[in-house]
Amino acid sequence: MRRLLSLTHPIHLVSGLTIWGIWFVAIYAGLSVACSVAPPEPESDMLTGINVGVGLATLVTTALLLWLAWASVAAGRKAELRRECYFAYISAGMFLFSAVSTLFVGYPIVFLPPCL
Amino acid sequence: MPLLGLLSGCAGEMSILDPAGPSASAQFWVWWAMFGFSMVVALVLFALWLYTFRRREQPKRTPREEQRIMLRWVIGGGILLPLASIVALLVLAAPTGRSMIPLPLPEGEAELIEVVGHQWWWEIRYPGENGEPDVVTANRLVMPAGEPVDFRLVSADVIHAFWIPRLGGKRDMVPGRHSVLRLEADVPGVFGAQCAEYCGAQHTNMLLHVEAMEREDYEAWLAERRAPRELQQGADEAQEAFGEHCAACHTVEGFPQELINDDMAHDIPGPDLTDIGSRPTLGAGVLPMEEGAIAYWLEHHQTLKPGNRMPPHNHIDTETLQDIGAWLETMEP
Amino acid sequence: MSDTKDATLTPEVRRLQQGMDEVWGNPKGLRALTVVNHTTVGLRFMVTGAVFFLIGGLLAMLIRTQLAFPDNDFMSPEIYNQVFTMHGTVMMFLFAIPILEGLAIYMIPKMIGARDLVCPRLTAFGYYCYLFGGIILFSSLLLEMAPASGWFMYTPLSSGEYSPGPGSDFWLLGITFVEISALSAGVELVVSILRTRTQGMALHKMPLFAWYILAMAVMIVVGFPPLILGSILLELERAAGMPFFEVAGGGDPVLWAHLFWLFGHPEVYIIFLPGAGIVSTLIPVFAGRPIVGYGWVVAAIIIMGFVSFGLWVHHMFTLGIPQLALAFFSAASMLVAIPTAIQIFAWLSTLWLGRPRMTLPMLWIIGFLIIFVLGGLTGVMLALVPFNWQVHDTHFVVAHMHYVLVGGMLFPLMAGLYYWLPQVSGRMPSERLGKWSFWLIFIGFNVTFLVMHWTGLLGMRRRVFTYDTAMGWDIYNLISSVGGFMMSAGVALLILDIALHFRFGRKAPQNPWGADTLEWAMPKPPTAYNFVSLPTVETRHPLWEKPDLSRTIYEGRHGLAHIDHGRRETWGSDALTGKLRETIHLPSNSWWPLFAALAIAAVCISLLVRVYWVGAVATLVAVVLLLRWSWENGAHPGKAPEASMAPSDPPLHYHTMNGPGVWCMSVSHLANGSLYLSLLFGWFYLWTVAPEWQMPDSSPLSMPMLVMGGAALTLGTFWLAKLVRRLRRGNDAGLGGGMYLAGGLGVLQSVLLMAVIWQAQLAPTETAHDATLLVALLYVLIHALLGATLCLLQGLRVGYGYVSAKVPMEPVVVLRFWYFHLVVYWSLFLAIWVLPTVLGGAS
Repeated sequence: MRRLLSLTHPIHLVSGLTIWGIWFVAIYAGLSVACSVAPPEPESDMLTGINVGVGLATLVTTALLLWLAWASVAAGRKAELRRECYFAYISAGMFLFSAVSTLFVGYPIVFLPPCL
Repeated sequence: MPLLGLLSGCAGEMSILDPAGPSASAQFWVWWAMFGFSMVVALVLFALWLYTFRRREQPKRTPREEQRIMLRWVIGGGILLPLASIVALLVLAAPTGRSMIPLPLPEGEAELIEVVGHQWWWEIRYPGENGEPDVVTANRLVMPAGEPVDFRLVSADVIHAFWIPRLGGKRDMVPGRHSVLRLEADVPGVFGAQCAEYCGAQHTNMLLHVEAMEREDYEAWLAERRAPRELQQGADEAQEAFGEHCAACHTVEGFPQELINDDMAHDIPGPDLTDIGSRPTLGAGVLPMEEGAIAYWLEHHQTLKPGNRMPPHNHIDTETLQDIGAWLETMEP
Repeated sequence: MSDTKDATLTPEVRRLQQGMDEVWGNPKGLRALTVVNHTTVGLRFMVTGAVFFLIGGLLAMLIRTQLAFPDNDFMSPEIYNQVFTMHGTVMMFLFAIPILEGLAIYMIPKMIGARDLVCPRLTAFGYYCYLFGGIILFSSLLLEMAPASGWFMYTPLSSGEYSPGPGSDFWLLGITFVEISALSAGVELVVSILRTRTQGMALHKMPLFAWYILAMAVMIVVGFPPLILGSILLELERAAGMPFFEVAGGGDPVLWAHLFWLFGHPEVYIIFLPGAGIVSTLIPVFAGRPIVGYGWVVAAIIIMGFVSFGLWVHHMFTLGIPQLALAFFSAASMLVAIPTAIQIFAWLSTLWLGRPRMTLPMLWIIGFLIIFVLGGLTGVMLALVPFNWQVHDTHFVVAHMHYVLVGGMLFPLMAGLYYWLPQVSGRMPSERLGKWSFWLIFIGFNVTFLVMHWTGLLGMRRRVFTYDTAMGWDIYNLISSVGGFMMSAGVALLILDIALHFRFGRKAPQNPWGADTLEWAMPKPPTAYNFVSLPTVETRHPLWEKPDLSRTIYEGRHGLAHIDHGRRETWGSDALTGKLRETIHLPSNSWWPLFAALAIAAVCISLLVRVYWVGAVATLVAVVLLLRWSWENGAHPGKAPEASMAPSDPPLHYHTMNGPGVWCMSVSHLANGSLYLSLLFGWFYLWTVAPEWQMPDSSPLSMPMLVMGGAALTLGTFWLAKLVRRLRRGNDAGLGGGMYLAGGLGVLQSVLLMAVIWQAQLAPTETAHDATLLVALLYVLIHALLGATLCLLQGLRVGYGYVSAKVPMEPVVVLRFWYFHLVVYWSLFLAIWVLPTVLGGAS
């Protein structure tokens, strides 16, 4: 179990994208439920609590992924085996990609109303 | 502009490349921008790819140099190029979709027209004072030009999609829910519309004739249909036959209740025929409306549009069908 | 390059090879139906797939004939609708996926240095499921009652009310049957790639093709269950009237669209990834250098695998979902451009840095590049919501998807065909005829589909059986039809070329293209056991670095070069490092896969003709056959001559507790979990979104009985875990009795669940709420019954001596099943009892 937590394990090739996936499902499901339970007035356009909520989730997730990317690079520097270093660097790239993806996919909250 | 000259070949009543409204125009320009950019990317890529086969002499490279070349390609072409392209697309082009959202207008309200998709025809309903539809027609959509119109889209059976290509994007009509699509025609004109979601045997023949009019013409058109009306006298036989064979499914406003034969199964509603004489086509675009067309349709509708929901009329003699047809042709406001 | 023919064969080696042939060889005659060998079954998959390709192509030609001229009455609308529905269905489900699975089944063990896949009987079972499912589906066309609702079968058009005939049933049952096949292949490919690589082949040293297939297989395992669930629900709606997709009963047709595309989008990548894998294999060979940016490509594969699950809604942009939600999916769809571009530029720089040779396979690769890049570019355009709203459901989309699918799959497949043909036949492909057919197909394809973009932009919808000349589409449609027939001519030439090849092709040298991977290190045509001896491989390019490997393998100088024990053996290695962990003893030829598949076919057919009692009997027979099959496992003498005694180094896998069976169970639960999550998704989706959903004020389910059932399950699981812990310490005292006890707890839970269902008095034909509850309860009931049965059988097997401290693997496998069931049961309790009770009847 400890071995899996180390950022040099190849499992982290997919953990960045898994976090991205969980965030993605969460904002999509959250948005759908929010729109079916308490849709905001159309007049408020994109300035609604829902947009703000999704935005915050996006920023927090992006920050987390960026931190993990940085930590992976650090782990790769310290790694003893060539294999570990290899996987850590690729994982770092995956975390970075996931962070950019999170920001990119979350961006439309600045120009679209949530439920129309 | 030479580009526009090239595009004149794109005219056609269903052409996306001949936009006649703000949404369609935005989509039109987005398309050409994306097309141009894509062509450049594709051609450069193909040229590079083929060039690698043409080169004969290869310089000797150290692994370090190879690594540098690889990184240049993969980071430049594999990451920066697509990233820049999609960021541009998301920031510049995606917001064009906003114009199709039924947001409240700065002043006044958008005209609301309800469109119901049926297998395989369109029902158009215009809300009156109290919100209930007071003008109902079929397969012909009249709308005001030069202002946004909200189409409230519903389905009576399966999923259909409402699409006026020259005005803007399509929207599905899903049973059990409604959605609102905002479109606008720049100037008065006639446009084609069609069902875009495959909806069964006669999906192909589910066409809609759209006319955009000046505001006052539109209002006059509605007023004509709102005016109380009386059925034309002197067509008793036709009316009786209509009551006997048709009226269970087809409404004609003001048609005497006592003539309607209730025995017929009428679980599937047919088009409202109150103003059928004024419509440009029959059978949702199958036949042009001419003298005698209705009678012809009544006799041959299962060959003209096989599988349509109107039962065949083999049990009714031609003369009666002609009577009904002639009478229906007079149905104009 | 050394040749197997140069090998010096001592009498010993000859005896070894003869022994191998006897143990691994395929029987002839009727017993050929029992063959489980991956080479044979892989070829069967591919040949069957090719036949379905020709059928699908014929249907395409019918479509193009009908559309060649305006107002054409070549086909009636009903027939036309069946034809285009079947064209899509056959190409997607009966050609593209199975033929790629076949390729993976054939190639993967050879590339990773194994002798067979890890579950050979499952390979054969998968093939029969595919064959029978395909025949059932295809027979509908001959009976003129084919499905006619389009290949994505949108409800309510495909439901009982609007498609009363059996067409939809053919589709739902046939496709589900075929999907069982895909899942079988998916599970065993994942485990084979992770656990049977030859000694020393660490994860980051395996051929890129294996990475692509690994991603594809995981995606099949996770991506297919949503459609299986959707098909089950829709069939239940059609056959039993349970209103999952019917608005009036509280269902929602959009749920079908979600379930379909949750499968449907990943499926596009399931088809593309193996194609890209072929490209990544061929380009380095013909550029004469290793691929540059191996790590980049691996990262791109993983990104594609993941992101492709976040795109499904982009097929549903016009369904009236709020635009912000669409924008998320739109952005995610655009993101796919990045991993695609990474691969394209990795290929380009490999060519740039190498010395590319222009050969016939390479020609197809160039065709792939041109077509696929164009398809990818229109794909990015389609990801943009406002543009998508215009061209969705037009011929623009038809053109786009043919560009990605034909470009991304057919062209690489043809490249692979010509590349690997010498490996299969031992003969070189012809250059001239092959080039002719390439140019005909390439030009024909572009003539057909490039123009079709334009037809779509001019407003022509997909799935129309004719059009009016006033629309101005005549000439473009005619051009497309001409191109289509040109492409057909190319395909005909290709078939001719392949046929002539087997007769006249000149003999191929050992490694004709100068390739680097192990599949070229075996005799041609390949032997059933692939390698006489299994080499140690610590490089990505074994044949480049050790050119004499073919010979030394053939001379039996590497590992596992014994056959006197009469077992089919291959190595089991560590998933990460490739260190040896066990000797996997593979089962031999068997009738059970065929019989089990026949029984399931009987289930399908009886459901089709709606004779439900036959269906019930056939289901029972199928279950019994599958269990009987599982009986011949582990130390069963029918499977393993003297296996419980035989010493070996590394140990035989059933003497360990982490063998491939355990892995297969875990990967199967990935699929099962995906099915379960889809069901939960359906429940919550209908609850929150369905317009007429009705939630009763209080749950109809009995809480005490549900909790007691859960308690029995929990107890049973912990008891099993304790047994396994003791087994791990080598203590099997009381194992049999313990297993019976766990089985008893499973039976208790099943009885309680049946009581819950009985007592709840559900009205599944009235409301979607009750229907969904019933399906959820049946789902856990099936697991409870299966869990109990497995434990009871284990008790029996302990009695026979098939399971013991020496042969301890099976209880571990059973325990995994129980763990899964435990999580499912309690989370389901939370979802269907606790949450509705806490939140009340709010809908």
